[in-house]
Amino acid sequence: MAFGKRRVVITGMGAITPLGQSVDSMFQAQLEARSGVSTITRFDARSFPTKFAAEVHDFDLGRWFKDTTRWNHCGVNSMFAAAAAQQALDQSGLLGLLATGKTDANRFGIYLGSGEGIQDFDNLMWEAAKSYDPSTRTLNYPVFCKGARESFHAESEEEQELHSTARHLAGHFGLGGPNYNCLTACAASAQALGEALDMIRYGDVDVVLAGGAHSMIHPFGVTGFNLLTALSTRNDNPRGASRPFDRERDGFVLAEGAGMLVLEELEHAKARGAIIHAELTGYFSTADAFRVTDSHPEGRGAIACIAGALRDAGVTPAQIGYINAHGTSTQVNDRVESLAIKHVFGDYAHSVPCSSIKSMMGHLIAAAGAVELITCVEAMRHGVLPPTINYENPDPECDLDYIPNQARKVRADHCLSNSFGFGGQNTSLVVSRFAG
Amino acid sequence: MASQARRAVITGAGALCAVGDDPASIWQAWRDGRSGVKPISLFDSSGLPVRIAGEMTGFDAKNFMEKKDRKQLRVMARTIQLAVASSQKALEDCQVDKSKLDKTRFGVIFGAGLIASELPELADAAHKSALPERGKIDLDVWGREGIPVIQPLWMLRYLPNMLACQVSILHDAQGPNNSITQDDVAGLLAVGETLRIMRRDHGDFFLVGGGDSRINPVSLSRQSLFFPMARRIEDPHLACRPFDAAREGLVLGEGCGVLVVEELEHAKSRGASIQAELVGFGAAFDVRLDGEGMARAIRIALDQAGAKSSDVDHVNACGYGTACEDILESHGIALAFKDRPTPVPVTTLKACTGHTGAASGTLELITAVQCLIRGEVPATLNHQTTDPKCPVTVISGAARKMEKPLIVKTGFTREGQCAAVVLRRWNG
Repeated sequence: MAFGKRRVVITGMGAITPLGQSVDSMFQAQLEARSGVSTITRFDARSFPTKFAAEVHDFDLGRWFKDTTRWNHCGVNSMFAAAAAQQALDQSGLLGLLATGKTDANRFGIYLGSGEGIQDFDNLMWEAAKSYDPSTRTLNYPVFCKGARESFHAESEEEQELHSTARHLAGHFGLGGPNYNCLTACAASAQALGEALDMIRYGDVDVVLAGGAHSMIHPFGVTGFNLLTALSTRNDNPRGASRPFDRERDGFVLAEGAGMLVLEELEHAKARGAIIHAELTGYFSTADAFRVTDSHPEGRGAIACIAGALRDAGVTPAQIGYINAHGTSTQVNDRVESLAIKHVFGDYAHSVPCSSIKSMMGHLIAAAGAVELITCVEAMRHGVLPPTINYENPDPECDLDYIPNQARKVRADHCLSNSFGFGGQNTSLVVSRFAG
Repeated sequence: MASQARRAVITGAGALCAVGDDPASIWQAWRDGRSGVKPISLFDSSGLPVRIAGEMTGFDAKNFMEKKDRKQLRVMARTIQLAVASSQKALEDCQVDKSKLDKTRFGVIFGAGLIASELPELADAAHKSALPERGKIDLDVWGREGIPVIQPLWMLRYLPNMLACQVSILHDAQGPNNSITQDDVAGLLAVGETLRIMRRDHGDFFLVGGGDSRINPVSLSRQSLFFPMARRIEDPHLACRPFDAAREGLVLGEGCGVLVVEELEHAKSRGASIQAELVGFGAAFDVRLDGEGMARAIRIALDQAGAKSSDVDHVNACGYGTACEDILESHGIALAFKDRPTPVPVTTLKACTGHTGAASGTLELITAVQCLIRGEVPATLNHQTTDPKCPVTVISGAARKMEKPLIVKTGFTREGQCAAVVLRRWNG
């Protein structure tokens, strides 16, 4: 096992997204170029600078679990994760083998790139207001602490902790392997998938449940992103708000959901006759080391990251049939990402189709990378690439083939998926058609 | 387990906590049995049932930063400032010439937890939006009048990935960058991830750390609701009692520990002084919360180190000082070492510093490195009578000489995420 890397395949996938609460329904909606963006219903956002988001509507954890007690006090982030994990494990066929001990639960790990639970905005801000003296601009902490301890809900507070989602999944499914969560902003679940790949390649474990879940559609989340002027404020046209690579783009659209994948060592999958959906072949991560607010203007980190992932996968730019872009619909990201792709792909850059599904379902933040990798797998399986919708006005600095507005039938054998996080973490993954 | 062809050594460390601001002084406080746990002074904690903590008094991040970088501090919560300061100290300790590093192979891997909002930043907005007659915040007012009075970069001060990001920016570290957020075991998991990145040859030089500070009104109000905590205001230095029959619960601390982890040949070629070798790592989940997962993590780490349980001098334990967790950890250690003819000695720094959360793994690992360098193991402060429910042999009373070359460092969350790291004395 010390010699050479083991191969890693994808044997299960699950998704909870604004476009559908299964991989099939999500991908179908993408092919139909639908938008999942609408007015925020989770809280009263009518006076916020941004009043819309891509929400998961009509979610009921009971669809996936007979007994949902474990998740009673969890935020929707952990519930989305549980539902997507159940879908992925169910599809993989491993649940029965785990139950009978035929799959070694101790060599089955979890690596999530999942976000924090949802803070109790109402009680926290109310207690802050109550203990604040505006004339002196000071807080009375004894008053705050007493009030907070009375109004905070102990169980829900505990579930907000960052390790909560991964421990519930391990506890529920009985997975005894390494249990990780990383939170590198918008790169998190892609980075989790990459690190999970590495753990299997070198023999630490045989199977990993990897992915992410997140919801920042809450008052603090929208407040924070609005203050950073990162969100689109196209309130008169929410469905047209996420327009990656379009000249008139004005920021990203917040979304929520989860994507989970079962990554499995090839021989382990073959031995049990698993259905193999694709092979995860490349991963690389870098840091911009530039600024907390901006990506490096020449795409230094992104270039190294994309090039590193192709090298890791052993494929040339010409072999990449589809790029699932990070494509957030912010001015800077889309320009820098296009620049980085051109730098790495050279002459071939203009002939490789490249789309951003964030145009349709917004930005799932920590969960975005996992859902986007799932999209790549589906695109290869079905031979159709999802479009970038709302693409109307070409931007001279973004001049690649973004698959504008309509899905396209193209056979791709290798796909690249980029995820770039706030603060400068870059992750690229390469997923390939499984060729035996 | 793949063999570790590329060897990882520790060539520097920076640490900050209640009992010291460098590895040597922290180790000395541990050796002298000094506790940093005292009544909270950072804010008026009289509204809380818990009013003691291992707080750092007089920490000022400006002292650790070059003048040109100091303006960045305003976008860093205290936790992030601790990380930046400790990283600076670690880099100084390893005596690297940064200009000679390949920046694309310079990684930053940190453990981090939730960072609580500092209330003064939000109080004005909250006050403007409050409807006293209805006892609630009006979001409509918040949107119009609250949001505009909050600092634009507010959110960036609290993102858990900002420890690693700010460190990477200050030192131009363009290699792998990750933020592991598994609470109290996050720092050790970050060490494990670093070893994997080195194994796959994607980096040679890493800052690996963890930082945490929960001594603020929001964190303490929350934590005291769901974590059993010691209240002992009359003699706070006795409050944290790992594995002791009279232990009462957790005492929070704050701090940061950052290691310079370097590929052996890289370290040798620049003439670095090597402090210890990282030879094994294991992680597991304790599904039944009975110590089996902890034992498995330790055994995986020893296997990777190619070591026998009898090669281990002692375990540098997590030792929360809480009722259930100390029992779980004890059983895990006992199970992992059950083939030894004599029980493995166990010690922990915890009683001196309080529990430093996501910082604890790397901070305590740094004190274990000091043990290897000095050949001596401090006792566990405040440990008098071992709880009969904890099947461990705790080093108490006086320090003892190290007899064997390996230390096992354990860490875990009370929900079952476990990790173990094996350190080996460097003999050149």
